[in-house]
Parts: sequence; C-alpha cells; structure tokens
Amino acid sequence: MKAFHLNRKQLGIPYAVFLICFVLAPLIVIIHYAFTDASGAVSLANLKAFFTSPNTIGTLVYSISIAVVTTLVCLLIGYPLAYILARSKMKKKYTIVLMFVMPMWINFTLRITALKEILTVIEGNLAFHPFLNTIIGMTYDFLPFMILPMYTTLINLDRSLEEASRDLGAGEFQTFLKVTLPLSFPGIVSGVMMVFLPSMTNYVVLDMLYNSTYIMGSLIGSYFSAYDWHGGSMIALVLLVIILAFTLISGRFEEDEKDRKGGALL
Amino acid sequence: MKKISKRLSLLLAGIFAVGSFVPCMSDPRATDAEGQDRTGTGFFAQPAYAAEKKKDEIVLRVCNWEEYIDLGDWSEEEAIELDNGKTILGENAMINDFEQWYEETYGKKVRVEYSCFGTNEDLYNQLTLGDVYDLVCPSDYMIMKLMQEGELVAFSKDFFNEEDENNFYTRGVSPYIKNVFETNEIGGEPWSKYAAGYMWGVTGMLYNPEYVTDEEAASISMLTNEKFKRRLTLKDNVRDSYFAILSMIKGDKLLSESFVNDKDYGKKLAEVMNDTSKKTIDEVQESLQDLMDNLYSFETDSGKADMVSGKIVANYQWSGDAVYAMDQADELGVELRFQVPAECTNLWFDGWCMLKKGIDGDKDKQHAAESFVNFISRSDNAVRNMYYIGYTSVIAGEEGDDTMIDYARYNYEAEEDEEETAEYPLGYFFSGDADDEDYIIEYPASEQYRQLYSQYPPMEVIGRSAIMEYFDEEATRNINQMWINVRCFNIKDIPAYAYAVGGVMGLVVILILAERKKNKL
Repeated sequence: MKAFHLNRKQLGIPYAVFLICFVLAPLIVIIHYAFTDASGAVSLANLKAFFTSPNTIGTLVYSISIAVVTTLVCLLIGYPLAYILARSKMKKKYTIVLMFVMPMWINFTLRITALKEILTVIEGNLAFHPFLNTIIGMTYDFLPFMILPMYTTLINLDRSLEEASRDLGAGEFQTFLKVTLPLSFPGIVSGVMMVFLPSMTNYVVLDMLYNSTYIMGSLIGSYFSAYDWHGGSMIALVLLVIILAFTLISGRFEEDEKDRKGGALL
Repeated sequence: MKKISKRLSLLLAGIFAVGSFVPCMSDPRATDAEGQDRTGTGFFAQPAYAAEKKKDEIVLRVCNWEEYIDLGDWSEEEAIELDNGKTILGENAMINDFEQWYEETYGKKVRVEYSCFGTNEDLYNQLTLGDVYDLVCPSDYMIMKLMQEGELVAFSKDFFNEEDENNFYTRGVSPYIKNVFETNEIGGEPWSKYAAGYMWGVTGMLYNPEYVTDEEAASISMLTNEKFKRRLTLKDNVRDSYFAILSMIKGDKLLSESFVNDKDYGKKLAEVMNDTSKKTIDEVQESLQDLMDNLYSFETDSGKADMVSGKIVANYQWSGDAVYAMDQADELGVELRFQVPAECTNLWFDGWCMLKKGIDGDKDKQHAAESFVNFISRSDNAVRNMYYIGYTSVIAGEEGDDTMIDYARYNYEAEEDEEETAEYPLGYFFSGDADDEDYIIEYPASEQYRQLYSQYPPMEVIGRSAIMEYFDEEATRNINQMWINVRCFNIKDIPAYAYAVGGVMGLVVILILAERKKNKL
C-alpha cells in the first residue's frame, strides 16, 4: 500500500483556499461594485466621479501629504539612528535597538491614547494643530518599521568597501555619500515603503488625535454609511492601483540595487 | 517565472493593504453580495437556517446595539432595593433569563442567537447583504425606512391584548410613548403596529458649569461662542449634526413668539426640523464649515471622557450618554450638567421590530419574538436594562406597579435632610396626566440640570421636541454629500509654502533619479 503522502500541490490547498476567499473574492466584489451603478448596470460614472470631485482629489492630496511628511520625518530620525547604532561599538546596542522596537509590542491604540494625553499636556489643546498631531502620531507609530530595515542593511554592509574608499583618499563625508549611502539604499527603500503605504490610510490615528479631516480610509467608510457601495468601491480600487504603482516602483529600485551591487562586487 | 511570482506577491501585498481600510468589505459575507441579495438565502445565511429546523427548539435571531441589554453578573452591592419592597439584581444575562422564562411559561425551548450592530446604517447594510434576523432594534428613522420598504412584520393581535398578564409591553408602556407610537404614521399605518419601543431620549448640550454658565448652555448658539473656541464637540454623525446646525440657523424663527404660540406649533416645528431642501442643506453646509474653526472635533464616543478630563467644556450629546457621563464625572469629583437647547431637541427612540425575512410566517417564532419584547419590558427587567445601559426605558410599569417610578426615586429623590428641594412632575410620562400628584419627585434644587433632567426630560422640554424622519433618496444623497464636503480637505486650503516645498521636493527626487541613471550608464 502506498503510504499516505502529501505532495507539494496538496500542501498548497489551504493557502489557495485562503487566497481565493479573502483576497480574490473581495477583490472581485470591489471591482464589480466599482464598475456598476445603483441599478446594477455597468458604468464608468464612479471612475469619472473620482477624478472630477474636488473631495476625492482633496482627500487624496491630504492623505499623500500626511504619508510623505511622515515618511520624511521617520527617515530623518531613523537613518542617523540606524547608522549610529550599526557603527557603534557599544556592548548594549541591542538593548537600544530593542527599546525602539519595544513599543510595537504594545497595542497601538493604547500607545496613541497615551500619546494623546502627553500631547495635550504639551499643547494644551490638540484641536489647534491637527496636521502636526497626526504627523507626530504616525511617526510614533511607524518609526520602528523605518529603523529596522535600515539597521539590518547597515549592519550587514561590507565594511571593507568603506575602508577601501578611505584608503583611496576619500574623506569620511565623501565615503558616506559615495559608498555607505548608496549601499544602504535597499534598506531605505523598504523602510520608506513600510511607512509610506500604511500612513496614507491609517485613519484611526486621525480619529484618535481629533483630526476631523477625512483621509482615504475614512472617506470610503463615509460612502458605505451613505449606502453608496459603488462610489466607495471605486475609491478603494483607485487606491489599490496607486499603492500597487508605488510598490512596483520600489520593487524596481530594489532590483536595480541588486544589479549594481553584483556589478560592484565583480 | 520568478519575475511573475514576484509581481504576484506585490499585487497581493497591495490588496492586503487596501483590505485593511475597507472595513465593510473585509467581511466574508461580502462574497455573497452580488447585487442586492435580499432573498435571505445568501450563501452564509444558509447554515443557520438549516440548523434551526432540527428538534423542537425555536431559534430566535436577535440583533441589537452593542452594550444595549443587561449582561448580568452584578455584584451583591449593586442590588437595587426599591421602596415598594422589590430588590432588583441582575444575576444572569437577560438573554439567558428570557430563555428560561419562556420555557417555564410556555413550555417550549427557545434559543436566542444574539448579535450586535454599531450603527443603523451598518444594520441596514447587513440586511441588504443577506443577513437574516428575526428581531432587530434600530432607531426611529431606520424603523420608518424599514416600514416604508415593507420589511417588517406587524405585531399580532395577541401582543396588544391587555388581559394577558404576560403582555408586559402593552400593559406597561408609558402613555406618552404609546401616544407617540400611535400618532406617528408611515404610509398611513402607525408605528405601533410594527415597532415596540425600547429606550428613548432627547439631544442636548452636556457642559461643565465651571466654564459654561447655565444661561450660555441654554441655546444651541453657544456652538458659535468664541469664548469656547476649540473646546466644543459635535457628534460624528451626519443626522445629529444636521439637526443641531439646522436648529441653530433657524434659531430666530424657532424662538419667535409668533412661532412658539402658533396653535400648530408641534407640527410646524417638525416641518422646520425635517426640512431637507437643497437650499437648506447648503445653508447648513456653509454654517457647519464656518463652525469648524470653533469646534474641537467631531466625536463618536470620546466626548464623554473628554468632558471628564477637561479637554472640552461642552458637547452635543444624547441624554442617555449624558447620564452616563455625569455619573462617571461625579465619581471623579467633576460636576457636569445637561440642558436641552431652547430652540429645539431631537426626540429619538430605539424600538424592536420583526423582520419578514426572518420570521417568514413562522407563528412560533413570531410568538417567541413578541415574548422577548414582553420579557424585557417587565418592569424589573426594564430597571435592570436602564441600570446597565444608562438610557431611559419606555416602560412606565403597569397599573399598581411602582417599580419604574420607585427606581427614579431611588436614584434621584432628595434625602430627608436636604435643605432646598424642588418638585419634578413626571405624570406626563408615567400616567398620561401631567398634573398627577402620585408622580412628583422631590429632588435637591441644586440638581436642576442633572441626571434626573436627562433621564426623564421635563414636560416643557418634550414640548419643543421634534422627531427626525428618515430622508428620502434624494435628501440622503444631498445630505451625505454635504457631510463629505464639510469633512474633506479642500485643495484651496493648501498654503502657498506647501506648493513651494512640494515643488522643491519633487525637483530633488528627479535630480537624484537623473544622477543615478547617469551613474548607471
């Protein structure tokens, strides 16, 4: 008798079922709703509405602004820190890395609630600086996601390349600019993606920090409460395309980087 | 091949990212939502349907607001000892008590499948998606909408039979509420035919008297008072905000002598407050946009806590939540008060109604559903729910049963050594006779705008209340559009420096990319 044996295909069945139920099916439903109107007829009206309504465009601009500023702030704080940690000879540097990662172990709504109280003590009244508060909240929330990939890249950097650069007469700053920074680019790209994409849509932070302006996530929600599934689905779909575009572009960067690295080593 | 799989994984990552901000769509039920599935035989609804046919057990599918029924498990100290000798203590969850009571009373097993919804719109969306419930508890306007769409089952004749001792609802409902449910009609039929009340209340301003005087809080126009700049909140809910702003911009008219003394005042007030013409909606939008500078934020649930912590000094609130907030604040030594604006208030109800698709002509099931309504309307159970939720039950108690008024006394009556007391007549609610001396509560005069006022608003407040009806399709569209217009970022608000910064950043990115390209070549 042949022993009961699962081959690779069979092992994949649970994943396939999962993907079909929770990824493919919802996607099909979203597409279906996005391209139909209330009567069920196929229509491009929702698509047109997205690009002609000042509300959706305004919200898109606002969401992207939040994401861009958050990413920049995270990058400005995160890169020097990752660099210092990766280069330092401190024995306790893992403890420091841990301290930056530790907040991630605590539920993020709790962290934001605590942040809200701290900011209230500092600012007095949160309502005067909704955009600033949102950036602080997002940065607080996503900073570890920025630091970790950059730290990993920097610590795995081949130090001999830097030494070679110095041997050949480059100063510290020039070495950093021409060797270290370009080589750490993959870490920066993945850090940027890990921060940029979620901060574009994380409306819970806005809600909790009393920013009443909609971003993409809350705008979609408002369409659903108004029973307008079609408009809401179209916004979701357009966002999906935007995110996909960002992901693909960053993927290109990483691939480029690999080619360059290979070339450099040869 | 490798390239394809990489692309695929990127695509999937993107889809997951989108999935995380489409709350409704991440619901697996969405998969059977092709078009408007209203037959109730959706893919996921099927199993529950099949299971209930087994045995003699009746399965009752109830969908209620979150935290809107007593879950029991009270400690001994929480026992409520009333003047009429009754002691009320919620030991088990109300739902389990009902199952037990039903079997004891009618000799049949019933099993309640209990689920919750977050907003009326969520409930409606769930029903549209094909979820099947037998008994639901939406608010007034959603009941009206469901009635209009012919989704509801009328209560049976037996339900209204006052002779039956187990008809606690019909025997115990407040005459005032009964009158409201009988005089309001949809499509020529009174609400009472399709809905039984559960909790009710009004809207008003919850405020901190340390910062806001009673006079200031007496008018909805305090929302525009610069003195409270950025220390006021409105509900993050288009209907409540619309109502508040509408009563503000129509304030002069609503307060004018000729309007108040009109013999059709009530009717005219309802007309004004249900005005959803395009012109009015535009006015509300403009007013709301101006008001935004004076507001702290729109809140869904944080308002109560923010009042206690002092972040805000006043918020537009439902009376039931006001009671809860005041109770919480009292424990921390902060006094809050609640007043209904002089202009107008929104009288609201949540009520039980049976759905055609759920009941499906099953007489046993309908009997169980009606019995559920009756059981939670029994005065001791109504007290338990009131204690647990903090809102006000529509139940006044049947003839000769003082439980409900005694519970009000238990909570609010002045101690004997209280120096200054005032009379609070509640006859309008409990007996239908506003001057009924049996229903006057002596309460401490200093507590004028406190819990009692919020729990059972006085007669004159009720006089200036209006019910907000459901909006028709066009009005719904316009009002929601108005709300989105108010809430979305306006591109015109971008300051010039932001354009400059953005331009410089874009330029830098392009330069870096160009540089890289050059290096590569």
